[in-house]
Amino acid sequence: MEIIGPVLVSGITTGALYALATLGLSLVWGSLGMLNMAHGTLLTLGGYAAFTAASQLGLPVPLAVLAAAAVGGVIGALIFVLVAYPLSRRSPETFETTIMIATFGVALTLENAVLRLYGGQPLGQPLSVGGAINLGGFALPWQNLIIIVSAIALMGATALFLTRTKTGRAIRATAQNPDAAKLMGVPVARVYLQVLILSGMLAGVCGVLVSSITQLSPSLGADPMLKAFIMCVVAGLGNLPGAIITSFGLAIVEALVQFLAGARWGFPALLAIVILVLIRRPGGLFGRVEVRRL
Amino acid sequence: MKREDLAHLLVGLVVLAAAVALPFYVDSRYVIGQVTLGLFYAIVASQWNLLFGFSGVFSLAQMALFGFGGYATAMLCFYFGLNIWAAMPLAAVATVLFSLVIGAACLRLSGAYTALLTLAVAQVMYLLIVTDTDCFVMVGTQCRQLTGGAVGFARFGDLGTRAMFKAKFLVANYALVVALFAITMVFTWAIIRGPIGLAFRALRDNPGCAIARGISRFQMQLLVFGLSAFFTGLAGGLYAAHFNAIGPGVLSFSQLFFIIAMVVVGGIGRLWGPLVGAIVLVAADEAMREIGEFRSLGLGIIIAAVMVLMPNGLIGLFESIWDRLRRLRTRNPAMTAEISGDTPA
Repeated sequence: MEIIGPVLVSGITTGALYALATLGLSLVWGSLGMLNMAHGTLLTLGGYAAFTAASQLGLPVPLAVLAAAAVGGVIGALIFVLVAYPLSRRSPETFETTIMIATFGVALTLENAVLRLYGGQPLGQPLSVGGAINLGGFALPWQNLIIIVSAIALMGATALFLTRTKTGRAIRATAQNPDAAKLMGVPVARVYLQVLILSGMLAGVCGVLVSSITQLSPSLGADPMLKAFIMCVVAGLGNLPGAIITSFGLAIVEALVQFLAGARWGFPALLAIVILVLIRRPGGLFGRVEVRRL
Repeated sequence: MKREDLAHLLVGLVVLAAAVALPFYVDSRYVIGQVTLGLFYAIVASQWNLLFGFSGVFSLAQMALFGFGGYATAMLCFYFGLNIWAAMPLAAVATVLFSLVIGAACLRLSGAYTALLTLAVAQVMYLLIVTDTDCFVMVGTQCRQLTGGAVGFARFGDLGTRAMFKAKFLVANYALVVALFAITMVFTWAIIRGPIGLAFRALRDNPGCAIARGISRFQMQLLVFGLSAFFTGLAGGLYAAHFNAIGPGVLSFSQLFFIIAMVVVGGIGRLWGPLVGAIVLVAADEAMREIGEFRSLGLGIIIAAVMVLMPNGLIGLFESIWDRLRRLRTRNPAMTAEISGDTPA
């Protein structure tokens, strides 16, 4: 029984991180129909931005996190302006695949830029907190608690932003039907830009959180991104609440499998689940079956 | 269509002549070695082009299939003591079977879903090989994992070219790769030229219409997945045999996207696109050797820039320039005729 606690803690912590990574990815997929292969790199950049701000410039923690969000947002905006927008204008019918290749190019570039700037050796994220609180039998490290709470807070804030603000409404309208939104006077291109900035900011903060329990390395974002892809697919691409639930569920399953069968079987188990789910429900667990007019 | 065939045949003959002439003019072992490597890439890229460019299946498991072919060859030689010439075709067939299993799991979906699942499969394969630490057999005093672990396999067999051609064995290996490349191109061309090629292209261009005409998307895409796996696996086997080594490095993300970049730079859905892309990128890679550390960075910029600025690649660019030139030439007499006809007498 005493082992269930730690497994759950680690499962929920990674679940919170996956959910945050998935949220940004799913947001962009849902509104632009664009799979951002550079999302993982945005996580990495966020982690390094916070590192630079906190330990090299000596800024306080909140400012360092803001710096991470800012860097993520700026890079997200650049990806839209330089890559996604021209590509969608030029060849809308092949956009779904070409954008994946193009954003991968962006990811490769940025990841190597980080490698050149900071070197390949892993660095410690200065924003980690030691210690733990005792919860009747097992210890809940402060770091994990902070991650879980801040991830949930960020998700809540995003949900509020999407449902309560004018910009959020425009984003949802564009996601539902870009043509109708355009006819209602929504500046669709600007909404897309906002979505990528928002997703970049979320990724930046997510990167700070991920690096606070692991270490900073140029490939920091690769693993969370791959997992986030899987969560997105299982939930149905573009479904935000579904993606969050799936992230927590699968992360706990992963933690259990890793505990029972060894760390190397966690990811294969996830993949097996995904394939089984998709054979039964090709649209994902929460995805609506899309009726496409031809 | 006839003219296009003739053009492809001409290009093919020119390429073959250039490939045959190369070792007579170039003495450097390094250059021959790099061209051989480029041709391996071109073979895999041409099969990915068949899959994505001609059939619209966005699979990210191409290097996984290449690696599977290489590993299967190495393991057949290593564990069963098979001759490497027997192991390669067996491994290619095994790769096809493996690809059909992956395809059955991943091709029910389309577009980005397929891409993500195949990527996940490739990544799982990589992780399982790299993290393999359980001893399977003991070689001398060293423990060897079933999959070779992070080190991979080495010295498991020999093509026999070293004994036969002595110092010139590199050229002999090069000739083998050129032959495999030629066969692969003929095979690819025969497929896209034939009726199943039309079905593949119909599914790429308008899936709804194609399905309505009675083409099964799943079956056809599984077919092209299996077809493209054969030469990919065979190339993997020859790669392992040529270097007499295979490791998990071939399964890495950057290798996969090097292949994809070749198709993108050369021209997606153009028969000779992968070759053009392979030549350009291997040459660019060599040129960037000067600035060593920035190679991957430069590669990333090339991929993104080409995708945005010329989505049809170099061949597409060439085609549109050619088109414009021809239109200019044909339009001029027509326009003068029109104008002279319109002018009142």
